Amino acid sequence: MGLAVEEHVRLERVAVPPDDREAGSGLSVRRATKRFGPVLALDGCSFAVERGRMLGFLGPNGAGKTTAMRAVFGLVGLDGGEVLWDGRPVGLDERLRFGYMPEERGLYPRMPVAEQLEYFGCLHGLTAAAARAASASWLDRLGLAERGAAKLEELSHGNQQRAQLAAALVHEPALLVLDEPFAGLDPVAVRTLADVLRDEAARGAAVLFSSHQLELVQDICEDVAIVDRGRVVATGDVDELRRRSQRRQIELRLEGAPPDWQPSADGVRLVERRGGALRLLADRDVDPADVLAAAGRTARVVEFGYGPPSLADLFLELVGE
Amino acid sequence: MSARRTIRLVAEREIRERLRSKAFLVSTVVMLLLVGGSVALGNAFTSETTYRIAVTAPAPPGLTAALERAARPFDDAKVRVEVVASAAAGRRALEAEDADALLLLSADRLVFRSDVDPKAAAVADTAVRTLRRHLPPEPELAIATLHPLGEESTDAETLVAYVSSLLLLMSLLVYGQWLVTGVLEERNSRVVELVLSTVRPRHLLAGKVIGIGVPGLVQLALVAGLGAVLLAVGAFDAPASLGGDLALVIPWFGLGFALYAVAYAAAGALASRQQNADTAGQPVSYTLLAVWVAGFVALSEDPHGPAASLLTVLPVSSPLVLPARAALVGVPLWQHALAVVLVLASIYALVRFAGRVYARGLLHGGPGLGARAAWRLARER
Repeated sequence: MGLAVEEHVRLERVAVPPDDREAGSGLSVRRATKRFGPVLALDGCSFAVERGRMLGFLGPNGAGKTTAMRAVFGLVGLDGGEVLWDGRPVGLDERLRFGYMPEERGLYPRMPVAEQLEYFGCLHGLTAAAARAASASWLDRLGLAERGAAKLEELSHGNQQRAQLAAALVHEPALLVLDEPFAGLDPVAVRTLADVLRDEAARGAAVLFSSHQLELVQDICEDVAIVDRGRVVATGDVDELRRRSQRRQIELRLEGAPPDWQPSADGVRLVERRGGALRLLADRDVDPADVLAAAGRTARVVEFGYGPPSLADLFLELVGE
Repeated sequence: MSARRTIRLVAEREIRERLRSKAFLVSTVVMLLLVGGSVALGNAFTSETTYRIAVTAPAPPGLTAALERAARPFDDAKVRVEVVASAAAGRRALEAEDADALLLLSADRLVFRSDVDPKAAAVADTAVRTLRRHLPPEPELAIATLHPLGEESTDAETLVAYVSSLLLLMSLLVYGQWLVTGVLEERNSRVVELVLSTVRPRHLLAGKVIGIGVPGLVQLALVAGLGAVLLAVGAFDAPASLGGDLALVIPWFGLGFALYAVAYAAAGALASRQQNADTAGQPVSYTLLAVWVAGFVALSEDPHGPAASLLTVLPVSSPLVLPARAALVGVPLWQHALAVVLVLASIYALVRFAGRVYARGLLHGGPGLGARAAWRLARER
């Protein structure tokens, strides 16, 4: 088999902290710590989002993602560490150019939607006229043009979500922070939101969002940061992180194999079996040709695949086990 | 972006919210109707006026008839003559408020308790002149009072004092409750998280207080202003100068509202998510009520006494007590000045305290913060 053996760089459990990189343009959170009573919510958490890039913020529940995001907006006072924008500490002036979609959604229930967006535009420093224009344009883009005069509480749940997104975007933010923006969206809305975020990044905004939908993150994000127990355990380009993993994914489709057959080689583990299709995770020094040969001795191999693990497998490798 | 623009934006949004609510417009109309209606009511009472005049025995024949005739041009007033045994008995009757005036014919004197009622004086003067068949212009009677002039309050002054302090109390309670409701709504709809991501807590607090205070002030100014104008044009049977006392309610509402609104806002921020606006505002409402009652008691007992003076300058009570005491007996200028300075200082201190408590309370999920936790938070940093 002519499978290229990848560079033998081992992925450290604690990746290279981004604060050792040069302070680039965009957001950088450095060694943030925050304790809530007995709970250490952030334990030296460091990550960075560059302008024009999109960072997926991943981690199990309670890992500290929301705390880190709220700290960017000063909604949580950090015990230690710092939040920088373009290398300078973030204050109220910087936050005027940030857009935020909090974990707990909420706008004024009895205020008309368009008026509400204009209000948030003005609070972020837009003139009344600019805010009105931006509000109208976002309502139009998100399919709410007809509902601008309606009170928020009169909108459907999905439309309220769109209004919430518009409130984060109305002032053309330089940094966009969204806490679980894809949670509870139908597939059409997921597509719309992914397009909007991609466009925002293309416009030059730094985009940071948290999510549990790992396949989605793998599809739309260039970068990820994986948080566990208040620390970033891996961060960087998604594809590079996957390549640097100590594991490799092997996919096999067999015909005529015994229903419980699996390769018995060391360092190979069955992850999933669906009929004749098997998905295996192997240590990266396992030669895939050996696995293929073993399979070929018991059955006919009709499909074979070898490559870096998915983001989901990487996530489990880092925080799940 | 300047703090002033942020505060203005927040305040404008609150005002628009108020104007959108029918309750605000309806309550304004109702209050105006109440004040207008009280004119009609007041006039209904004054048309029933009866002057009770004590006369030392023996009363000359025809005096009662002459008095009644003389009183007729004054809104059809009635006169009741009471014959007393001696001048001393007459003074006692006057003191006991069994009589409004004492006619001492032998001395050509008409004696009032503390304030001269010009109408009663004119009636008595005309009647005595008629009896003696004298011609104008020399007055028949010298006017005197038992007590120095103006030491006791007239009924109209008392009415203005209590009505204005009641008006202030009700306004502070109602608008304070609006504020608690507004704060809780902002928190329970979670929108506060988004607002505070770009607005400083104390600017949000200031904007809300102004945005709810201004419509309240306009409402109160309309009501108190209508009352003051009606007093000034003589729609009530009361001295026109009382209009000024009533107008004093307006600036003191501004000061009192600023003080209590900040306290209400902090109370709202510290309440738990399950708590409703009524219970959240209770500590502040009870304080207001207690202070009002204390002021009422102190002013009824002795408006010149130390308790009344203390409550006039104490920041918690001055907004309610000072305008009432000013209408009753007047307040020395130095007490006015001291009260204003102390209230302004308290507002400043309370805004600083509440600004800290506000952010922490609002962003704090779950159960409400107790007073001790709030104090600890406020002292941090």
